[in-house]
Amino acid sequence: MSRLNDVGGLTGFGPIEREPDEPLFHSEWEARVFALNRLLMGKGLYNLDEFRDAVERIDPARYYGLSYYERWFEGVRTLLIERGIVPPETAT
Amino acid sequence: MKFSVGEAVQTSGRDPVHHYRVPRYLRAKRGRIEAVHAAFPLADARAAGDPAPPVETLYTVAFAGDDVWPGGAEPNTVYHAELWESYLHPLETAP
Repeated sequence: MSRLNDVGGLTGFGPIEREPDEPLFHSEWEARVFALNRLLMGKGLYNLDEFRDAVERIDPARYYGLSYYERWFEGVRTLLIERGIVPPETAT
Repeated sequence: MKFSVGEAVQTSGRDPVHHYRVPRYLRAKRGRIEAVHAAFPLADARAAGDPAPPVETLYTVAFAGDDVWPGGAEPNTVYHAELWESYLHPLETAP
């Protein structure tokens, strides 16, 4: 029953991509997701472990197809909907 | 504090459905207490929104590479992990 994120030691994902001079973010929306998450945690809307849990609960059929910050966005989105802060139909 | 530095321990083989900080590759593995840290709120409970999560001592546990990745570890690899007390069991015989 291990969760989808627990892939340490699994094979089949191919080599880890190493970028020379890797930027902090690959596009602006990633930085926005990062900032949004830090802000919401800083405001006490949820804690880091609840955020990790939300990422781990992403639909298995989609999880591995999402990029790192796409997963972050999904986690933030889930928590905002579950807490009734954002109505599901507007959280896209 | 249940364990002291140098003590042999075995990680839990438990496989809970909730957020959990023992990765699959470290379950039911023998290791040794390398350092004893302060007590911290258990992430499993915090992840579930528990307003008063249990506070447990955190340990650095050292594992032999060959125990973690049988046949796949580089020679002399020692793997360190930070693990909460309830993830660990005492082990009478040294690994």
